[in-house]
Amino acid sequence: MDLKALKKQEHQKRVKYGYMWAFFCAVLWGMWYIPGTTVWVLNPFDEMYGEIAAGSGDGMALVIVAVLITAFNALTVILALTVWNGVLGKFGEMKRTVKEFHPCSKWFFLASIFGGPMAILGSFIAMGFVGGAFAAVAALMYPVIGSILAQKWYGEKISKRAYLGIAFIIAGGITIFGGGLLTELGSGNVAWIGYLGGLMAAAGWGIEGAIAGKGLDIAEPDVGLTLRFLGENIIWWIIIVPILAIIGFPMFKYAFMAFEPLTLLVLVFAGITFGFCYVTWYKSFPLIGVGRGQGIGNLYGLFAVIFIFLFFGDVPSWTILLGGALCLGGSSIMFSEDTGEMESLRGD
Amino acid sequence: MAGNRPIKFRILELCNGGKWNYEIVSQIQKEYGLKGGFHRDSINFDIIELASGGMLKDVEVKVDEEGVYKKGFLLHKYELTDFGKVRAADACLMYV
Repeated sequence: MDLKALKKQEHQKRVKYGYMWAFFCAVLWGMWYIPGTTVWVLNPFDEMYGEIAAGSGDGMALVIVAVLITAFNALTVILALTVWNGVLGKFGEMKRTVKEFHPCSKWFFLASIFGGPMAILGSFIAMGFVGGAFAAVAALMYPVIGSILAQKWYGEKISKRAYLGIAFIIAGGITIFGGGLLTELGSGNVAWIGYLGGLMAAAGWGIEGAIAGKGLDIAEPDVGLTLRFLGENIIWWIIIVPILAIIGFPMFKYAFMAFEPLTLLVLVFAGITFGFCYVTWYKSFPLIGVGRGQGIGNLYGLFAVIFIFLFFGDVPSWTILLGGALCLGGSSIMFSEDTGEMESLRGD
Repeated sequence: MAGNRPIKFRILELCNGGKWNYEIVSQIQKEYGLKGGFHRDSINFDIIELASGGMLKDVEVKVDEEGVYKKGFLLHKYELTDFGKVRAADACLMYV
């Protein structure tokens, strides 16, 4: 075989694997909203909600329960990722990477602040207050935040095409948020904090991506992601959960009660889907470029809506469907652009 | 201080003067004590990641006729880019 044919073959192989990883990411990410929504009605979280709501009101109860759920999500994610790194034989690399505080781990820990207490907590709050489909579709706005930050921060150029994509996504976002709000305003009962959660998810993931990228490009993604979740576990289990317990919320009482089979199963399911959606996401980037990887990954919004319909029989309102379609359209416009990375991948 | 810093740091160091992927892979395997086909492919994927991140660029390609890496497959020669030098400097790789 000649050089040209071999080059083409190698390129096609890479692209094929890249799309496969990105597609897995979308499916896993979409699936995550199933345990994420289910866990709210399971004990001990249901009981905990009742106890705190009786003393401090519904809003406070939801946020505190969301904190504990997010903390458990972080715990099961790191378990899944530890097994993954063990299988790959990457513990040695993890030790080497964590020692590099200045170039690497600093960014991972910083990313975990925005990824955890902002994005994932926000998602759980949105799932609890408004619903899984809303939470999934609202977070589709994260590329807008990510690309604006990248422009301000590293001076990345935003092309006309990307601006068009951003406009589509913002229109989609307004439809999703506005549609739900209008319906609720009509009924006089607005779950403001749930909508705030949706915004937190979009902003948090956008910021996390921009920050984590700085450390991940010179580290092993499998290792880097594990360290990012290590950071999140420290934030929840060493800082926030104990502080809430000291203030007087029954954090540890219910945390110990989470060890019942069904609850654990659902939490582990959340950990596996969430952990591996991050892993597959990062595996796709070098093969098809960040743009395409994120574009395909964003199909998670569609999968989440489908899974939620299959498992819970919830048909989302038309504003969520229309808004989601606009967001997906916008991300395809944004991400179908040929990137410089693709050039270097082709090796022409 | 071979074998003490993350693998990608070492790859950036090695590519400073331009190097073939099979040379990088075998040197890393030796320095870090990573044996076998799985680690070989995983190190090669690290190189691909660095290239797709714009830190390395693919400067030359040839077919692996003798089987120095994988017979019948392509071999790539990589060089550190300017962006790669900046990122390497962030990681305190001093000789860059």
